[in-house]
Formats: sequence, structure tokens, C-alpha cells
Amino acid sequence: MSDNPFKSKKSNLRTKEKFAYGGYAFATYFIIICATFIFGTILWNGVPVLMDKGLSFLSHKPQTLSVLELEKGTGYEVPTEHFDNMLISNPNELPLENLEEFQKSFQLVSFQIKNGSLIGDDYLKDIEKDNKQYYVRFTERKFPTLVGFTVHRDKKIRISKPELEIIQKHDPQLITSEITEKIVTLQNKKVTIKAGEYPLSKDAHDSLQKTELIFQMKQSYPDDEPNKINITIIPKDQTITLPSSIFYAAFDEDEKGTLPATKVESIPYEKIFTDFSLTKGNYQTSSETLKILNQYGIKHLHNAEKGAVVINNKDEINITLHQEKYDQLVAHNPQLKLSHIEQSQQQIQYTRFDIAKDVEVQLNFSDLLAFKQDSKFKPTSEKTHSYSGGGVLGPIIGTACLVIICMAIALFTGIAAATYLNEYAKKGGLTKIIRLAMLNLAGVPSIVFGLFGFGLFVMLAPVFSQTPNTGSKLNIPIVFIDSKPDLRIIEAEGIHIVDSKLSTSESEELANAAGAKKFHNGWYYISFQGWGVCMLAGGFTLAIMVLPVIITSCEESLKAVPMSFREAAMALGATKWQSIRTAVLPYAFPGILTASVLGITRVAGETAPIMFTAAVAEKSDLPWQGIHTSGFSAFVDFLQQSVQALPYHIYTVAGRIPQSEYTQPMQYGSVLIFMIIVFMLSAVSIYLRIKIRNKIKW
Amino acid sequence: MIQIDNVSFSYDLGKTEVLRNISLDIPEKKVTSFIGPSGCGKSTLLRCLNRMNDLVETSRVTTGEILIMGQNINAKDVDAIELRKHIGMVFQKYNPFPKSIYDNVAYGLRIQGIKNKSILDEAVEKSLRGSALWDEVKDRLKDSALGLSGGQQQRLCIARTIAVQPKIILMDEPCSALDPIATAKVEELITELRTDYTIVIVTHSMQQASRISDHTAFFYLGELIEYDETDSIFQNPSKKRTEDYISGRFG
Repeated sequence: MSDNPFKSKKSNLRTKEKFAYGGYAFATYFIIICATFIFGTILWNGVPVLMDKGLSFLSHKPQTLSVLELEKGTGYEVPTEHFDNMLISNPNELPLENLEEFQKSFQLVSFQIKNGSLIGDDYLKDIEKDNKQYYVRFTERKFPTLVGFTVHRDKKIRISKPELEIIQKHDPQLITSEITEKIVTLQNKKVTIKAGEYPLSKDAHDSLQKTELIFQMKQSYPDDEPNKINITIIPKDQTITLPSSIFYAAFDEDEKGTLPATKVESIPYEKIFTDFSLTKGNYQTSSETLKILNQYGIKHLHNAEKGAVVINNKDEINITLHQEKYDQLVAHNPQLKLSHIEQSQQQIQYTRFDIAKDVEVQLNFSDLLAFKQDSKFKPTSEKTHSYSGGGVLGPIIGTACLVIICMAIALFTGIAAATYLNEYAKKGGLTKIIRLAMLNLAGVPSIVFGLFGFGLFVMLAPVFSQTPNTGSKLNIPIVFIDSKPDLRIIEAEGIHIVDSKLSTSESEELANAAGAKKFHNGWYYISFQGWGVCMLAGGFTLAIMVLPVIITSCEESLKAVPMSFREAAMALGATKWQSIRTAVLPYAFPGILTASVLGITRVAGETAPIMFTAAVAEKSDLPWQGIHTSGFSAFVDFLQQSVQALPYHIYTVAGRIPQSEYTQPMQYGSVLIFMIIVFMLSAVSIYLRIKIRNKIKW
Repeated sequence: MIQIDNVSFSYDLGKTEVLRNISLDIPEKKVTSFIGPSGCGKSTLLRCLNRMNDLVETSRVTTGEILIMGQNINAKDVDAIELRKHIGMVFQKYNPFPKSIYDNVAYGLRIQGIKNKSILDEAVEKSLRGSALWDEVKDRLKDSALGLSGGQQQRLCIARTIAVQPKIILMDEPCSALDPIATAKVEELITELRTDYTIVIVTHSMQQASRISDHTAFFYLGELIEYDETDSIFQNPSKKRTEDYISGRFG
């Protein structure tokens, strides 16, 4: 046999071939191994969590988990509903004994509370805590100019008639008791003072300044040394008439004062006083009233900057409280005007149970509160793990809302922009620059979009408002509605104005007098004050982030529609828009659908852009709960809420809270749920695309 | 019917002219065919007639004017959309929309805002009969047009065109993507349509031109070489180039 003519001439080529093969194969298997590891870990840890928690993981909001050690004990009594929740949170069998259900009845009091703002104490906040289901919403606001006072026990007050009139004008709500008038005979003193220099106490000096006595102060001492002596000069002999109280403080008739008095005469006169009483409680008032009351010993000012509780509901609200809580509330806040007070009975299913041996129990925080109502419930130890109980309902809903808002904005703008670029814009330099800019935009890190969204939408975006924020960058008046101020708005800012029949100028005057910085003056403004951290800001930020992806893929799908469709439509006399609408966009739809699903999965997964613009770690309400307006403003209110979001929630449970064995299930559970949602979205889109593609292919 | 008077045309703002000084009159209710080798400008001229070249932004008719029914179609007050409603066009590659047969035929009427079902039904039937397709598709009007054979699809495109009742139908190599049998049917249809419409057809097939057309224009490198009655062009061409082309010496 001769030599093999096909024998490889260069043997090192074979070696290279082997290396190449090995390299490619290694890279591929490396990826597969990594993916298997990631998915495996998530499934391995996540599936048991979902199996344990079941549907309750999807239907509950994230909660703080409390881990309690219960000693062997007897006769715990808790509401059955919360007892059932305990069973769900503790899938391992608890050593329960002697289970027994029974009815327990409670005395309830229902009442209405007027909307408005009031300064209350912590008992008011208790109502809020206990009455989530009534949508009672109090907010704590800071009113730098608002003043208030507290009366610790019922107090009778006697003031002069002119002073009463001032109070009646500014704070009619203060005077609830009957007013009795009294005529009192008082003595005035007529006294002559010789010219000269006299040392005077500060008190005497202050009271003398209220008289018609003309004098100059030569020397005074700093205010922080109150009783130092001032030197007072009386330029020439003067005769003055003044109330006895001042006389005794300033003159030396019975060696209290320091001014030498001569020719003292008593002149009786009559003065009308009014008596009324202030009930124990907290009050808010205008500064005028406060000045008057200060003279009569009401000195328990509380600085409103510490926070006042404001009932923010638009209408009167109905509240139901347990009898004892109601009693406490009324005892501490007599100033509240409650109406429609009714008593009723409530039957609640209770479960009584014993614990057979010492055990560790997991409880959601809300359940723990209900358990603690039972006075016998005393765990030996109690630890809390935030976000480790409950489920992920809030974040799922929040992410869904964000995605819907974002995609609505992004698809509308994206399709429009793609259509413009592909169908209308002239093929030239400008279009190329726009396209290039857009591609670059796709490469901007998402945290930059987050900061940008914060600066633009949260802090600067324009809103329509009658009462712009003080932090607004620019207010442009748009429409003048010649009507009187909306007094509710003034009220909501902490100034209580009772008479809604006041004219515009009177209301403004009142609001000004009470120090309101902000009140409606008949103009509607475009106010550049930003939307705040809310879904709308987050949706816009995400939309801007995802727009390049959407536009690029929409353009691709528009390009994929054959030119002949456009020609056919145009040749039949269709306008450009008609041909795009009827013969281009419908056939680009499958591609646009793919683009939007790519967008959805990206948007749903982003953390950075919503961190500053929309997401909050904790929120007890779902977005549609706690909206008290109706119609369009309800929609606006809905959009102006912050939300929880899945990626941010995962970030929170994984990175921002102390880790423990109890936080881990929540981490894996959230991640698995998140991945399932994304997979389901992709699956639906693929199915839709195949279906539509089959229907309209060319 | 159509008077083309000394028309030059350029795709790039007049730098290079793809048509030079073309002048011809196309008579009413006759079939006129444009023949010539690839790149000679016959399709471009056809697309000038319904201003489809407007879709190319840099295209211009640099000199001359095209009068259709006595009106200069490049005049400022002429709306290309209105013009195209009167001048239908059938393309080289049949291009029905991926819609039902019915929707395809009704398309032109619908974009004119006609929604009345009975008017549409009547127009669809009339057009499909007019394009000799009615008997083949009357039972499956709701089926996708893309399920039809190539020849049927092209005839559907013709039906779609005549549904808007144009005066003139432009056909850009309507049979080049069809097999001989389908071609025969389309040719037959064209012969029938002659009684109602002025037809201008661009074709590569000289046999087709001689079979169906009354007049023939021969183009070469952007110029009109010869324009005459079909019989005289094919049997007694006056120009040497025409003779060379039709006898197959080049092209």
C-alpha cells in the first residue's frame, strides 16, 4: 500500500481542533451548570416554602413575624380567626389541647366624628390603629404656626366683654358652655407722679407701659434677668388714672411698688365681665385668642410642631370602638364633637385552647396583637422578625400596578415614536442621530434612570392645584375661579374656620390671622412641585428606561411588514395614516407584542429605578384601599400612592433587615414567586404570538 | 386619456435622470403595453402616472408634464390620494393583505369611509365577477386570501383595484410571478376589462404584449424608442433597435 493521500499534513491542526472543541463545550456546560445551580437552589428552597404556606403566601401582605415561646399553660382565649391564622403560620403540629369554641360578646359604641383638623392625643391614633376597616385616616402634620393648649381640669374663665368678642370672632368653637355676664364695680386710682428718675421692677414697668403715663427708660437689663431694676425717667409731673392692680404693682402706697405716689384718689367704675368655662381637653386656637387666655392662666401650650392629629377624611366618618376605648377617648379628648352615638353588641367566635407542653409558636404581628388581648396570654420570650411573616400580596399587586402604568405609557409613546421613525421621518442625518441617541439610552445604568426620575417626576413634575406646596419650584396661575376659598382646604391645613358663609376676603383674613401660609385664593395653578414618591412617578421612570427597547423592537417589527402592503394600500387611495393603521400596524402587532413582553419582564424586575420614585418597604394598604375621593380625583389619588414592589421587597428581605432562620423562607418564597410570574408572562406572550402569527402571516 | 409630454424623471433630485424627454398619448379604453429591457424606466414611468414615486422622497419629475383627463397631475392643487382613487394599480408580486377575501376587496371602499354592508356586499360581488373570480371563491369569502393560488391572488388584487371603480388601471408586470395557465387567465381578464377601463401594462413578455395590447411603447435606457399600434411595432418596426429587441437579438 502506498501512503494515505488524505493524511493530515499538519498534525497541530488536530490539536487545535480538539482545544477548540473542548473550549466551546466547556463554556456551554459552564453556563448550564451555573443555571442549574441557580434554579436548583431557588426551587430546592422555594418550593417547600410555597408548599408550607400555600395560597396564604399569595393572599397575605408581608408582615412582621413574632416568634414566641409558650409555656405549658391553660385556657388561652383568642378570636377564632386569629387562632386559624396561627395554625397556618405553624404548619408543624402544635401541642394543642382542649380546643373549645364559644361566642363572646362585646359592647360597642358607634359614633360619627366631624371631619376637620384637631389636636388630639395618642388615643386618637389608637382609633386609627383599631379602625383600619373603617378607613379612618389620620395624618400627623406639622403646623409651624398653629398653636394650641391643654386644659387639665375644667376651668372657669372670666374675661372682659371686648376680649370675649375677639374670641368669638376667631375661635367660636372654644365657647361651648353658657356665657354669663356680670357687672363688677372696680376701683381705679388717680395718682400724680413727680418728674424724676426712679428705679422700677420689670413687672411694674410692663404694667405701666399699658397706661397713658409718659416716661422714658434710661437703662434696662437683659430679659433673662427678669427682676432687675430699670431706671425710669418721668419728664414732668403727670396725673394718670389706672386700674388698682397696676397701681399696687407700681406705686409705693403699701410698700410694694417703687414710684412715689401723691394725691391718690379712688374712682369707682363699672365693667362688664363674662364667665364661661373650658372643659378639660386639648384645644387649638388662633394666636389672638391665645394671647387673651394667657392672661387668665391658660398656659399649657403645646407646641404644635410636635405634630397634631388631623382627621383627613372628606366627610364625616363613622367609627366603632369597644366601650372601654370609647370611654378613654372621650375622657381624654372632650373637645371632639361626636354625634350619632349608638351602642351595640358584637358577637365574636372565640377559641379556647391549652398548650400541652412548652413550644415555639410563630405568629404574624397582627395576630399577636389579637392574642395579647387575652390577659392570660404571656409568652416567656418574644422575638420579632420584620417582613418574615404573611405573604407577598402587596408587592405582587404593586409590581402589577407599576408594570401596567409603565407599559401603558411606554407602548403608547414607543409605538408612536417607532411609527414616526420608520414611516414618517425623512431618512437622513437627524433620524440617524435620534436612533443613535436612543441606542445609547438603552445602555444607561438603571440607577441613573432612578435618580433622573426622582429629580424630574418626584420633585419637579407639574400638577394642577389650587393650593401649591411651599416647596414648589414654580407656580403658574392658569384659571381664576372667582369663588370664595374652599374652606375645607383651609381646614385641612390645620386652621379651623367655622363659618363657611364668610366672604372671600374675610376667609383670607382669617386664614392669614391664624398664620396659614397656604390657602386657596381663587386661582388654579400649574405648580411644579413634583408628584412625590408614587406609582405615576415610578411608572414614568420605568417607561423612560424601557422605551429604547420598545422603540427598537417596534421599529424592527414595522420593518418586517412588506413594503408591498403599504404600496397596495396607497395605490387604493389610502392616506399615509390609513395605510399605516390598516395595512402596517396590524401586521406588526405580533412583533410589538414580543417587544412589550420583553419590556414587561425587564420592568417588573428592575429595582433601581423604583427605589427613589415609587417603592416603599412597608405599606399596610393595597393601592385601592384608603381612597376617599371618587371619580377622576380618585384615579389621581390612586396613581399618587407609593407601593410595595416585588424586586424591592426581595432586596429588603435579603439585604436590609437582620437575617435569621425565619427571614430565609420569605426570601426564597418571594424569589420563586417572582420567577414563576415572569415565566408565566413569557409563556402567555409566546402563546399569543403563535396564535396571532398563525392568523395573519404572509 | 393620458398625455405624457416631454417628461424627464429623476430619483435623486435631478442628478441622474432615469427617464428622458418621454412623450406619448395613451388612448382611452385601450390596452397599452410598455416593453423594454430591465432598467429601461418603463416601471418608473408607470409609477409616475399615479404618483407612487412620491413615496421616494428625493424623486422628482424634472421637466414636462403628465396630463390625465386633461389635468396636470403634478400640479400643486392635485391631491395624490384623490388621484390614486381614480388610477388603480396592480403590482408585480401579488400582494393581497393577510385578511379574508371579502375584506381585501372591500378594503378600498372601507378606507373611503363606506360602512354600509349592502353597498360593500354588492361592490365585492361585482368586482369579483369583474375579475372572473366570483365562481371560484363565492363560497369562501371569509377565508384568508393567502389560501388562494398565485393566479387567483393576482386576480383578487385586480378585483381589489376595480372595486374602487378607477378610470385607469396600471399593471406592473402582473404575470411575472405566475405560471402559464394562471397567466392565460389573467390575460383573458385583461382583455375583458378593456371595455371598461384604460389599461397600461408593463411587461417583459413580448408575446404577452402582442397578445393583449392595442398599443405598445418600447423603452430603452430611459428613452422612448418607438410608440405605435401593437401590430405595426411587432410586424413592421420603424427603428432598428426595436427590431433587434423584438427579434431577440439583445435584451
